[in-house]
Amino acid sequence: MNKKRTPLQQTLLYLFVFIVCIVILYPYFVMFTTAAKTDAEMYAANMTILPQQWQWSNFLGIWSAAPVFKYFLNSLVVSGGATFLAILCGIPAAYAMARMRFKGKTFFLGAVIVSQMFSPVVLLVGIYKLMVSMHLSNSLVGLILLNAAFNQAFAIWLLRGTFLTISAEMEQAAMIDGCGTVQALIRVVLPMAAPGIITTLIFVFINSWNEYTIALTLIQDDLLKPITVGINVFYGYNFIQWQYLFATSLFATIPVIVLFLCIEKHLVAGLTAGGVKG
Amino acid sequence: MKKALAMLLALVMVLALAACGGNNTPPAQNNTPSQSEPAPSTPDPAPAPSGEKVTLNVIISQYGNYTQDWWPTFEKDFEDTYNNIDLNVEIVSWNDLYTVVGTRIGTQQAPDILNIDTFADYVADDLLVPAEEYTSAELKAKLIPSFWSANELDGTVWALPILASCRAMFCNMDLLNEAGITAPPTTWAEVDAACQAIKDKFGDSIVPWGLDISTDEGQAAFAYYTWNNGGGFVDANGDWALNSPQNAEAMNYIKSLIDNGYCNANPYTDTRYPLQDAFNAGSQAMMIGACNMMSADSEVNYVVADLPTQTGKPVSMGVCDRLMVFDSSITASKNADEAARLDAVSKFFDFFYDTNRYSEYMVYEGFLPVTTDSSDLLAQNAEQFVVGGPDKAPGNSEYFANFSSILLSCDFYPSSRAEWIDVKQGVIEAEQRICQGEDAQAVLDEIQGRIA
Amino acid sequence: MNRNRRLKQAEPYLWMLPSILLMAVMIVIPIVTVFRLSLSEISRANIVKGFNNFENFKEVLSSPTFWHTLQNTLVWTVVVVGFSTLIGFVLALVLNQNFRGRKFVRAVVVFPWATSLIIQSVIWKYIISADYGSLNVILKKLGLIDSFVNWTNSAAAFFAWECWVGIFVTIPFVTFCVLSGLQSIDTSYYEAAEMDGATFWHRLFKITLPLVRPSLTVSTVLNIIYVFNSFPIIWTISKGDPADKTHTLVTYLYKLSFYSGKSGQAAAVSVIGFVILSICAGIYMVLSLKGEEADQ
Repeated sequence: MNKKRTPLQQTLLYLFVFIVCIVILYPYFVMFTTAAKTDAEMYAANMTILPQQWQWSNFLGIWSAAPVFKYFLNSLVVSGGATFLAILCGIPAAYAMARMRFKGKTFFLGAVIVSQMFSPVVLLVGIYKLMVSMHLSNSLVGLILLNAAFNQAFAIWLLRGTFLTISAEMEQAAMIDGCGTVQALIRVVLPMAAPGIITTLIFVFINSWNEYTIALTLIQDDLLKPITVGINVFYGYNFIQWQYLFATSLFATIPVIVLFLCIEKHLVAGLTAGGVKG
Repeated sequence: MKKALAMLLALVMVLALAACGGNNTPPAQNNTPSQSEPAPSTPDPAPAPSGEKVTLNVIISQYGNYTQDWWPTFEKDFEDTYNNIDLNVEIVSWNDLYTVVGTRIGTQQAPDILNIDTFADYVADDLLVPAEEYTSAELKAKLIPSFWSANELDGTVWALPILASCRAMFCNMDLLNEAGITAPPTTWAEVDAACQAIKDKFGDSIVPWGLDISTDEGQAAFAYYTWNNGGGFVDANGDWALNSPQNAEAMNYIKSLIDNGYCNANPYTDTRYPLQDAFNAGSQAMMIGACNMMSADSEVNYVVADLPTQTGKPVSMGVCDRLMVFDSSITASKNADEAARLDAVSKFFDFFYDTNRYSEYMVYEGFLPVTTDSSDLLAQNAEQFVVGGPDKAPGNSEYFANFSSILLSCDFYPSSRAEWIDVKQGVIEAEQRICQGEDAQAVLDEIQGRIA
Repeated sequence: MNRNRRLKQAEPYLWMLPSILLMAVMIVIPIVTVFRLSLSEISRANIVKGFNNFENFKEVLSSPTFWHTLQNTLVWTVVVVGFSTLIGFVLALVLNQNFRGRKFVRAVVVFPWATSLIIQSVIWKYIISADYGSLNVILKKLGLIDSFVNWTNSAAAFFAWECWVGIFVTIPFVTFCVLSGLQSIDTSYYEAAEMDGATFWHRLFKITLPLVRPSLTVSTVLNIIYVFNSFPIIWTISKGDPADKTHTLVTYLYKLSFYSGKSGQAAAVSVIGFVILSICAGIYMVLSLKGEEADQ
């Protein structure tokens, strides 16, 4: 793929990439500048693009205005737990669906999809009832289980897709060498499926990180709220504290980006591994 | 199995009877020592014979940025005073309140006490405890009578007013003067003239007139304009009359405000709050807003005026939110002893409406008190309390004196009626459709037909 | 021996057991509740009164708003999934190239996805606000417009913006699905193709597309479902206003349930949505799974 590009291609490529970056970063630019404005400036008669006086204190203010740090921790616990659980359950299921022949395979694949066909908004009453009966309402464990469950379709389908792109020959060779299925999966398939697994990991983490509706109805204790719900303290009835709302949102974006940057290397590593094998 | 159940039931009944007999059923409580004694010195006998703690779950709606700062102190003080009551206060934003409450009720996990705007739907399903059963004589005596009876449905009072607010027209006088208008408009024609003058003078940097006909509170705009044109939600007999010619005329007037370019660009989705923020920032010349809409740090030179009217007699709108108590069959708290629970509820209200504490909360949120003692106190001495927020600005007695008197002459939504939710959604839909170009009379006829 | 065989037969199911258990408890039970609610009369206060003979479905189907909403939902799903898949695919191809700053661009592409949908919607609502919005201010400062433009002067304009936000937030998902597929492709395929002197288009359609098809299938099927059921964007930007013309099924049923006190009808709408989705996703899945098996 690393063929030399002509100068024209090179320019087009960079132009395209440049436009994409501008469009994507624009809302974040607005968020950032708004977060640094005063209330009055946000609706001022002569709007400026940049704040006239940068209110850096807004970025510090959020931490004392509400237990924002605790909200962050809760989000981390929920997303981390849900991601771990979703992948732990998802890998064997996806592997079975990719490699094994059995009755009802298509049915199961379909059933997994069907399980995702109701948006949580629709299921609120049912979910709440269930959680109360399991004594898991108002608990982070309940949120972890629910997020893991609602991401199973993601996990299974993505992982299955990844496993399918990996040739089965390697495992068969390993199994001939005396490895069991589990060993073959762990030693041979998982390392090769790393990019897919990592993508799944990011997906599930992000989805759980951003989940709102379930956490909103399930969690009553202020100190157990994840950041998406906790942020509501800046979104009240009479006044919306835009600066705090956006400042907190920017902070809430950071963990995901950091996670991505840590993991991105492995996305690329998948490519190199393929190259070496070839 | 059945036997065990019967035994259990009998036991519960005995306990309940014991509690009723040994303790105070609220109406018989007239002999409590006179006023201002919320302290534990009131020698209340142990409420539940079992001596178990009573749990009270309370949902309070979020009124301002600092609602969640005030209640934890309340919770702590209350629990310190009554250490046999476990109080859980949950603050829920208005954006999510209906979702949270609907879900809780649908799963038999309702709170014991709920702070929300309407109650008729809960009464229809027998979910509420009549207010007489938990309101102490002392509290009943100090609630402003019209607010007490505003919560009556079929002869029973079902809720207590928590606070009130009223609407008025706010005008930015610097902008009006600069555009050559010297006094706030009093009629629709004057509103048009003032808007046109602002528009001519400032172009699109200033919005002349703030308008909100959104799903959030579009029914308020319906009230502002129809009431001041001799129409309204109901006719003289109290029957729904959404399609009166006066109402159609008022709707057409709203449409003309939009069509003439006098309003914010998206009255369909702009709620009152960004409009109020814009007014505070000085980029909107006039709007009808809530009494507490001005923030302490706003530099706008404004006057508060009556709503513009076509009838010569301006009608303002009052808003009153409620506190209601759910029946124990539907609540999440599993208190074995209903009498003890109601006793705890009663204590909660006495504690909350305590002159000083309640006045402090009203100043804190900037709302108007619904008790006579706090009204009197705040009209003189609001300065001893602080407004919520880091600035700790003192309260303003003049504000409470003025708006409390306006409040007494306000009209209110007919929200204690069973059809209210449909009416509310109906008039919002009507406003939006009419402003999108449909015929006013035809749309109102259709909505009226759907309700009646 | 027999026992061994039986174990062998049971094996796949054992592998799937944890996953199935998780979903059965956490999702299937609430789904059963929704079906039950859709057949029940539910009071405005949200109390179930009992079976009401499909009355909820009759009421929903006779409401003109429902049909308009259904039409919106289809447009919304097709437009958002279609455009985001197309753009996301192209972006993935580009990001799979080696160029300076690739790592940075990849991180940038994650952004729309790393922020909660509600916040994204709030910020876009603010950007396009005609009176104070950043877009108007910037365009005016740049001299591209003379006076502020009302970007949302009709229901259709609102809906178009909502679609744009939907596309915007969905692109990263597609991009990374496809990218992970692209990276699992053995480079030797391309080397061989290059030896044969294949053109760009030839490589795209004969190698890349077939090989990323599993990833693309996943992202499209899941996207159809997630976009169809997407709630925060439309609810935050317009709440279905003006005059209920910008609803999709999910926002419509949310309003029915929590604003109009009609939970029974809301449950009926969700069951109808479920049926439609099942049919669409079912058709797509059967087709693509068939194709997959033919390839193998």
